[in-house]
Amino acid sequence: MTSLPVALLLAAGFLAPIAIVAIYSIMPARTFVLTGSVTPENYVAAFTEGYWRPLMWSVSGALLTTILCLLLAWPTAKALKSLEGYRATFVTILIALPIFISESVRLFGFSLFLMPAGGILAGTMDAAFDVSIGSILNTRTAALLGMVYVHFPFVLFPLLLGLSQIPEEQREAARDLGASNWQLMREIDAPLAAPGALIGALFCFVLALGANAEMRILGGQSVTVITHAIEQRFNYAQDWPMGAALTMLVIAITALLVLPVFRRIDIDRLIRR
Amino acid sequence: MTGSNNSALRVLRSMWLLVVLLLLYVPIASVVLASLANTRYMRFPHRVWSLDAYAQALGTYTTANLHLTSLSIAVAVVIVSVIIASFGALAFARYDWAGRKLFRRLVLLPVFFPQPVLGLALLLYLTALGIVPDWKTAAFAHIVWVVPIVTLVISIRLYHYDVAQEEAAFDLGATRLQVFREITLPALAPGIVSGALFAFLLSWSNLPISVFTSGADTTLPEWLYSRTATNYSPLVPAVAVIGTAASAAIVLLAAALRPVFTRKR
Repeated sequence: MTSLPVALLLAAGFLAPIAIVAIYSIMPARTFVLTGSVTPENYVAAFTEGYWRPLMWSVSGALLTTILCLLLAWPTAKALKSLEGYRATFVTILIALPIFISESVRLFGFSLFLMPAGGILAGTMDAAFDVSIGSILNTRTAALLGMVYVHFPFVLFPLLLGLSQIPEEQREAARDLGASNWQLMREIDAPLAAPGALIGALFCFVLALGANAEMRILGGQSVTVITHAIEQRFNYAQDWPMGAALTMLVIAITALLVLPVFRRIDIDRLIRR
Repeated sequence: MTGSNNSALRVLRSMWLLVVLLLLYVPIASVVLASLANTRYMRFPHRVWSLDAYAQALGTYTTANLHLTSLSIAVAVVIVSVIIASFGALAFARYDWAGRKLFRRLVLLPVFFPQPVLGLALLLYLTALGIVPDWKTAAFAHIVWVVPIVTLVISIRLYHYDVAQEEAAFDLGATRLQVFREITLPALAPGIVSGALFAFLLSWSNLPISVFTSGADTTLPEWLYSRTATNYSPLVPAVAVIGTAASAAIVLLAAALRPVFTRKR
């Protein structure tokens, strides 16, 4: 019965809020009670009044972030795995540390680095090489780079965990039998590391789906993402049911991706060494 | 494969890791560099390098207040989540029981959930319940998100734990309390210390949940977030550095005290 405290907490602090949001999402627009007549109008409005745009921005941004993170994490994980002893531990800790520095500090630093004219990069280039460069701050590219920067560790570490479970003997055996590097990767590394990569990719996608600060700090509002659109509905427009319906759409996308993976992946095997 | 090929690969890999580390730390270094100015506008490289911003930051009430809010939340989160998660970890990793599979999925769900969406859902929920958000509701929101993570952290340590020890103790006539104190708790201790560190750092640095659930109270990351867009001055990066250093100091202190918590009885 030691599961009770956690179960109660999650029932009261996670499932109940989602249930309340679900109920609000089928209430008449701009009302504040939970007992109105049930209506699908908010969901209809979500697709007819242009809200699919911020939703699409968020989904495509998250997808792009996930792909870029995977492409960067693969060689990094392989390189980390090839290090030995204390060096591996040292580099791994160095990579992990920034996770514990606030997102707002790191993204702020990113924007200071990219700032035009007096920014760290532009200023240094100007002073050291007398070259004046432009700036990508306040563009979608900058926001995407910020997304990759923030979410990279969340792909790397599950991937590393997956890779670490590939027995070295298996790779050696394949090599002895004449497998090339490419074959080694395709036939052994990739399939065996797949659960770790899948967990990492899922983690990254879901976190990036709600990402908001990257766009605000680095993207300069060049695009409205879904979290921002929801926030506007709640705060400025005072239209809770509309905001709730948009929230439910994000939750639905998350659930559609997460639940099937949970069913397939054996957590025991991934955690236990 | 030839030897020279191998060493070329090794150099390439080291260089790649170096580039990755460099990219990860460039923004953090940028914050430190920006804080060392005394001009209102950012003009790097600074004409005058100074620590004025730090003197100013340490002298203002705001800095103290922001740290106090973040610290109150983090302390509450550490205490509550460690207690709840320790019980959760036992259910998650060790005891075999009927609902275990379902329980594990429930625990993992909030981890695989967009944080701002959780914050928004909690805001709507609290408002519907008639609760006015302040730092205490932010602490509750953090707990909802942190408990599953701490449960996982403690669970990982528990996988090496052998239930037979407990059974042996019972066979030898130990009471339930004795078994918990002498066997279960010492086994949990290292995980609890790591879990507490995770809880502290995740709460201290959290932005997406705090933004929606802290009401009129402002945490450190929230203040930084609001000041990055408007009202820039070197004070902002200076507070960022102070806040990060404060959390590092607290963690180092806890790490130094670690042997006290996990000593063998």
